[in-house]
Amino acid sequence: MTGPAISVNALRYSYGDLEAVKGISFDVVPGEILGFLGPNGAGKSTTIKVLTGQLPPGGGGASVLGIDVSTDNPEMQARIGVCFEEKNLYLNMSAKENLEFFASLYGIKDPDAIGVLRRVGLADRANDRVKTFSKGMRQRMMISRAFINHPDVLFLDEPTDGLDPGTAAAIRTTIQEEAARGAAVLLTTHDMYEADQLSDRVAFINNGEIVELDTPENLKLRYGTRAAKVRLRDGDLVREETLPLDGGAGSARLAELVASPDLLTMHTEEATLEHIFIQLTGRGLGG
Amino acid sequence: MNRRVSRAAIISSIVRKDFTEFSRDQLYVFLSIIGLVFFALTYYLVPDTVDETITLGVHQTGMDALVGQFQSGAATTEGLDLVALDTADHLAAAVAGDLAVYRTSTGDIVVVGAGAEPQAPKGAEKLDLTIGIAFPDRFLRSTAAGEQPTVTVYTDAAVAPEIRSAMASFVREIAYSITGDQLPVSQPAQGTAILGPDRAGDQASLRDKLRPMLAFFVLMIETFALSSLIASEVMNRTVTAVLVTPARVGDFLAAKTIYGTILTSAQALILLLALRTLTTGNWSTLLATVLLGAVMFTGIAMITGSAGKDFIGTLFYNMLFILPLMIPAFSVLFPGTAAGWVKAMPSYPIIDTLNKVTTYGAGWSEVADSLGVALAWVVVFYVCGLLVLRRKVRTL
Repeated sequence: MTGPAISVNALRYSYGDLEAVKGISFDVVPGEILGFLGPNGAGKSTTIKVLTGQLPPGGGGASVLGIDVSTDNPEMQARIGVCFEEKNLYLNMSAKENLEFFASLYGIKDPDAIGVLRRVGLADRANDRVKTFSKGMRQRMMISRAFINHPDVLFLDEPTDGLDPGTAAAIRTTIQEEAARGAAVLLTTHDMYEADQLSDRVAFINNGEIVELDTPENLKLRYGTRAAKVRLRDGDLVREETLPLDGGAGSARLAELVASPDLLTMHTEEATLEHIFIQLTGRGLGG
Repeated sequence: MNRRVSRAAIISSIVRKDFTEFSRDQLYVFLSIIGLVFFALTYYLVPDTVDETITLGVHQTGMDALVGQFQSGAATTEGLDLVALDTADHLAAAVAGDLAVYRTSTGDIVVVGAGAEPQAPKGAEKLDLTIGIAFPDRFLRSTAAGEQPTVTVYTDAAVAPEIRSAMASFVREIAYSITGDQLPVSQPAQGTAILGPDRAGDQASLRDKLRPMLAFFVLMIETFALSSLIASEVMNRTVTAVLVTPARVGDFLAAKTIYGTILTSAQALILLLALRTLTTGNWSTLLATVLLGAVMFTGIAMITGSAGKDFIGTLFYNMLFILPLMIPAFSVLFPGTAAGWVKAMPSYPIIDTLNKVTTYGAGWSEVADSLGVALAWVVVFYVCGLLVLRRKVRTL
């Protein structure tokens, strides 16, 4: 298809008097990973619920694969994959049975359940009941379920939340593979490291509004400051200095210290997405 | 990738998944199997015979010939066993359970607990006196003189009103037989309308009466399994995962209806087959009744499964519905005793139809009214269940 796979225009949604999404707009093109970053309660999950047809838009509009999400069109659902934050799997069924059941809802007659499980490292547990799986294995199951219909659009809600680094890295690799295949990925997370690693672009969402949307590099350039942190001997003490790398006095002082025998260590400092988020919203991503 | 999948295929997939889940839940599979076995065993363990004999205590003086006539004549063949006691006080105490009454092998009556008889005689048969009639000493003379002497009828509290009424008629019959007047009881000009085959002399045994009750219980018990499945889908939010696929809320509801109806009605039909109740003559009426019951309890399970926040919550809501609905099931054990409010219960028309068909061999025309009322209640429960579950699913 040409054009964006996800197109959101002034989308609104309210829970009673509480306005959870306040007129946000963005696009995601095929093959792109858009990181949707914000703290809990920022409106990330509500946006995904509207885009996947779980909630009707309260205002504005949105389309997925060119289909208006307010029309409750099964053709749209047939081409999307969703990984929920909660592990809503059938625990008394095996991993293979879970995938085969969901594949049947998409009309897939002979799904390659084992192949999909192999991608997330669960092929050897295909016939075990999901209730015997660890948290990380269940999360990998969630990811594999989202892939079972080879979706054109993937909605991933906190896909690595609470996982050990090894499992999280494996899941990130799989997400990148899906994007490389051509799937548009909307990834919500409050893990800035993950967003930085995976996302082609990131959208900062706070209190239902998108406060910034750009590539991680552009955001860092726009809001970050390049600096070097040095530790040097000062008599019997050790002292730290932070020196801006934007030319001028900072660069001259750095050159002086490099030649000095008192220099102990030197590290460059980059602006992180978290720092930029705090700078933009005045709040962190933790809560 | 663009695929088309039919609604029927989606519903069929969800139903198959539900049966897979049910088969993996050891608790409900165990309860279902044990329930069927227990009910079938209960059925075959209770007696298939009917003891219609009423043991009637009598105190009288000067009426030996008359009482003897009743004892040895027609009254005996109609199931009346007369037991003569010496005093009205003994009679009252025996009916109240304060004294025990025995009949020895020689036919003598011994009252134990009264005076010199503290022990039961060896080999004597204990008599269960729940009704007694005390005639006053001058009964014959007074009645013959046209007076109206008072006859006291003692009954245990558990004796049905019909039996008490029959005893009053019995006394009147004696009185009129003495005076020679006509009984003030008229027989209907036409034959008495009897539902199904006339079972005079072949009354329904306790085993017969259990059939509809057990079938109803099986229908009811599966409500727990279905509501648990629904609650699990809601609480674990697996239904949300289903509804972001091409499956719609309507598919989910249809699948739950089909699953619940098949699960429930199949077990009820298996039990009816095991009880040798399902025949070529009644299968269609029984099937219709069982299906109506299954849909009713499916509707209830949708309500309770949506309402419960956890296993205990679901159990609580199930009990809230099921306990009142069980009451009419017991009415079949005591024919003719269902109070008006019991007949107004939603489950009554189903149990009544099951009873008429399985116990009295009623056909379509004889149960049409009950089935009509049952259908109305089924619609109420099912529509409520659908609305509650649909609302729950949409607000997750």
